[in-house]
Amino acid sequence: MKKISKLLLALTFAFSLSSSAFAVTVASWGGAYTESQKLGYGDPTAKALGIDINWVDYSGGLSEIKAQKEAGAITWDIIDLYGHNVINGCDEGIFVEFDFDKDFPPAPDGTPASEDFFTDMPSECAVGNILYSWNYAYNSDLLKSSPKTIKDFFNTQRFPGKRGIYGTAYTNLEIALAADGVKMGKGGKFVYKKLEEEGYVDRAIAKIKKLCDDPKGGCVFWSAGAKPPELLMSGEVVMSTGWNGRFFNAAVGEGAPIVQVWDGQGLDYEYFALVKGGPDEANAKKALAMMTSTEMLAGSAKYIAYAPWRKSSIAVMEAGEPWYKDGKTNMVPHMPTAPANLKKYFLVDAEYWADNGEEIGEKWEVMKASVK
Amino acid sequence: MSSENNKILTTDGIPLEESLKVAEKKNKIKAFLLVAPLLLFLLITYIIPIGGMFSRSIDDKLTTNMLPKTYKAMEKWDGKELPSEEIFEAFYLDYKILVKNKTVGKLQTQLNLEKNGFKSALKKLARKQKKFKVGNYKEQIMSSHKRFENVEYWRAIKRRAPPITYSKYLKAMDMYLDEDNKIVQVEEDRRMHRILWLRTLEIAFFVTLFCFVMAYPIAHLLATIPMKYSNLLLICVLLPFWTSLLVRTASWMILLQQQGLLNDFFVWIGLFTNENRPQMMYNKTGTYVAMTQILLPFMVLPLYSVMKTISPSLMRAGKSLGATPTVAFFKVYFPLTIPGIGAGCLLVFILAIGYYITPELVGGASGKLISNQIAYHMKSSLDWSFASAMGLMLLTGVLAIYWLYNKLVGVDNIKLG
Repeated sequence: MKKISKLLLALTFAFSLSSSAFAVTVASWGGAYTESQKLGYGDPTAKALGIDINWVDYSGGLSEIKAQKEAGAITWDIIDLYGHNVINGCDEGIFVEFDFDKDFPPAPDGTPASEDFFTDMPSECAVGNILYSWNYAYNSDLLKSSPKTIKDFFNTQRFPGKRGIYGTAYTNLEIALAADGVKMGKGGKFVYKKLEEEGYVDRAIAKIKKLCDDPKGGCVFWSAGAKPPELLMSGEVVMSTGWNGRFFNAAVGEGAPIVQVWDGQGLDYEYFALVKGGPDEANAKKALAMMTSTEMLAGSAKYIAYAPWRKSSIAVMEAGEPWYKDGKTNMVPHMPTAPANLKKYFLVDAEYWADNGEEIGEKWEVMKASVK
Repeated sequence: MSSENNKILTTDGIPLEESLKVAEKKNKIKAFLLVAPLLLFLLITYIIPIGGMFSRSIDDKLTTNMLPKTYKAMEKWDGKELPSEEIFEAFYLDYKILVKNKTVGKLQTQLNLEKNGFKSALKKLARKQKKFKVGNYKEQIMSSHKRFENVEYWRAIKRRAPPITYSKYLKAMDMYLDEDNKIVQVEEDRRMHRILWLRTLEIAFFVTLFCFVMAYPIAHLLATIPMKYSNLLLICVLLPFWTSLLVRTASWMILLQQQGLLNDFFVWIGLFTNENRPQMMYNKTGTYVAMTQILLPFMVLPLYSVMKTISPSLMRAGKSLGATPTVAFFKVYFPLTIPGIGAGCLLVFILAIGYYITPELVGGASGKLISNQIAYHMKSSLDWSFASAMGLMLLTGVLAIYWLYNKLVGVDNIKLG
């Protein structure tokens, strides 16, 4: 008996050693999104390369990787990040810089990777992953009439009840200004122009604060992407901003009474970055190249309504409709890039948030602390 | 007779006094060795981390080391008008190296903490300085971003010159040092820390009060009913105490939410209409309810253990001497329970003042406490020195309350059991 347990101990030890030597750790946003990444391209890549890919959850930002670096114990290889975080992290030398055509495989028809991407990457350290939307949704069981515009999100007279709001200023200022009557312009250009001017950041924050202090309104701040659908389903809020893929999975995947509003949506890119000096940098680079190839990116769209970063992946999806995992839902119309959803939108300006995020963050925290 | 002959000798001729000293010394070493592990434990887990926190909260060597030339050039600058070309050049030379080494991010963050809005100017400079021509750096830097034309930003750099600072402590009180080294308050609409400190004290005070009001009758009941019932009740008190904090907080979320059990019940009995369900979570109410329930056992247990030792005959004696039950309670029973009340209140208050996870989950925006702000600076803004300063202020506050309690009631009176 004793011998067997000793043997087992030795085995588990050896196993843990071997598995840790060939495991790549990816930090992402958890919930339905990580699920789509894992099923869509994580597992197939792991199988093809013969390595383990571990997925860990986090709630965004550079603070955790910086803390890991500071402590001298980096545990993440790849991070799923906002554009402005990649720009800042690249400036600070946290991430590996890419040579896109060399490091990433071309499209099936031979188009080099850099030409297959939707637009240019915001930084040499970023490789595109999905296009997603910051829109809002409501619980149709709780509201008598249905909100249609971004202004309705702030209209507590017609639609009384609490609102779910993202916990940092990111994308909140844009919708606040749009709802406050600032013209958005094509792709939200005017909004960012105004935000650079004196007083407009304060005006946007005041608009949110008014909503939070309103006795007929009120705010619940969320930080994990799984929270908005949960808040809506539990009836804690009547409307919430959130990520369109999460709303889609709750509404179509789980049949929840959640309806999305696309007016004033913020179209945003999501990226992967490779950590410099991560536990298994070489394998992580191989895995990353494979995960962001045409077929693999299209694979993740089978599980969530986010648009892949490669033009060639969209073609794969269109050819394969109905693409959703249930085998009967067409995926392309649910994409944030579908023309019907793009009537009034802003393209989130990563550069603006990279430069101004921190100082706005401080004002935002003051606002949050003084909410009644 | 000489004094030497007066000394009492032991059998082997050594003076008794000395032999006693030797024996006592041995005992002292033994005693010290016995407490040494505990002392070491306290030193490693308590004294050293607090010392580390303190040094981190005042340490400001980072900027000093990053801008050596600038600070040398700035020594003579009085901070009244825009600095001279010499300082601009020194700053450019320092900054160039930082951009090249990719360590510039840390400086940007630090200077942005000192003067809000600095980061975007510095980032722009980092991009533009690559094309700078030799000479006339003042004009080139100022044209890269208009904020460099504002003397405030240069003063902010100068303020960070000393390697030691107590500005973080001022910041935690919503104050700062201006250029004349006077302590001034920040603008009214930016005073957030005072709100949080007051809210923390308020919530800790009321949670203690609620706990006391609820725990006193429970403890009294536990102490007076027969053993077989009291054991069962005690388990009812302890069972939630043994349950994970997170589980209890999550169950409160299920109970209190808008479409939760409690709200459903209120609507069902007709207390509220379906449209006007009360908000019981994501605000102060949620924090009060959940924290009171979670901290209740810390009040019940000391009260119970003190009440258990009070003989029931004392109340009977009071009554037989002519006191009404109320008078007997306040004159006889209540004073005897004060040591338990002291212990319970102190325990609950100190735990409540540093509470983090419950307000984070059920507190919403208006139920956040100072500890949540500390966590924000630890995890999100990465201003660890500020977080350390606030943590130490919290610790000092707790020590002050302990001192006050000692003055008013006396620590000897605390009884935990």
